[in-house]
Amino acid sequence: MKISDFWMSMIKEWKRNPNVGTFSWILHRVTGVLLVLYLFPHFWSIASSRWGAGAFDHKMRSYETPLIKFFEMGLVLLVAVHMINGLRITIADFFFLTKSQRALFWIGVVLFLFVLAASILAFFPKIFV
Amino acid sequence: MTEKRTTRGVYGWFLQRITGLFLAFFLIVHLNVMHFSEGSLEIDFASVTARLQSSPFWAAFYILFIPSVVFHGLNGIWGIYMDYRPGLRAKKSVLFILWLLGIALTMYGTWGLIPLFYA
Repeated sequence: MKISDFWMSMIKEWKRNPNVGTFSWILHRVTGVLLVLYLFPHFWSIASSRWGAGAFDHKMRSYETPLIKFFEMGLVLLVAVHMINGLRITIADFFFLTKSQRALFWIGVVLFLFVLAASILAFFPKIFV
Repeated sequence: MTEKRTTRGVYGWFLQRITGLFLAFFLIVHLNVMHFSEGSLEIDFASVTARLQSSPFWAAFYILFIPSVVFHGLNGIWGIYMDYRPGLRAKKSVLFILWLLGIALTMYGTWGLIPLFYA
């Protein structure tokens, strides 16, 4: 198994089934892997508290840059995509609504747009200070 | 009995949904506090310890949050890995590594938070 298989399987699946189900399956994988990778530096940053208030504050202050605020917004949107799609899968699984997954997908898109708008309102003042 | 199981199993499937539902709640609260509410501009030791020590709710919150997110993430990686139909030996070693990593990561995350509850 190679890392390229990860991408190839998605491209292959997309060519075979270019529909919203495959699209959200790809999004779920990519966002999921990125969020797992984020967990490591996240725990590492918080663990600076072990070296006292000064070390913790120093670390937190180092993240107060427009670029990192922008990435934080991206992170919130990754969570939003993964959460909305995950809830769609869970609803379809637990309430026998597999046949409505397409409609659920579009409801999810609308929900995401609301989160996107809220994120822009919350983050832009921090990005463009 | 020698067939290759290529699914992640019904427990993994079910736990992924249960931890997922927990995480939806945890992350809405966590991200709201961190990025969408008043005071989210100033995250420092003083404000974080004040919040976390304001109620025992926050200790329970993060004690459940960390293992849920670690399990959910690594079980997701396991599910992706299983899609590539690994052999039995590879499967066993990857499962072992993921469990080890999961336990270590949960302990590390919790250990890193402890000073915020006692300082």
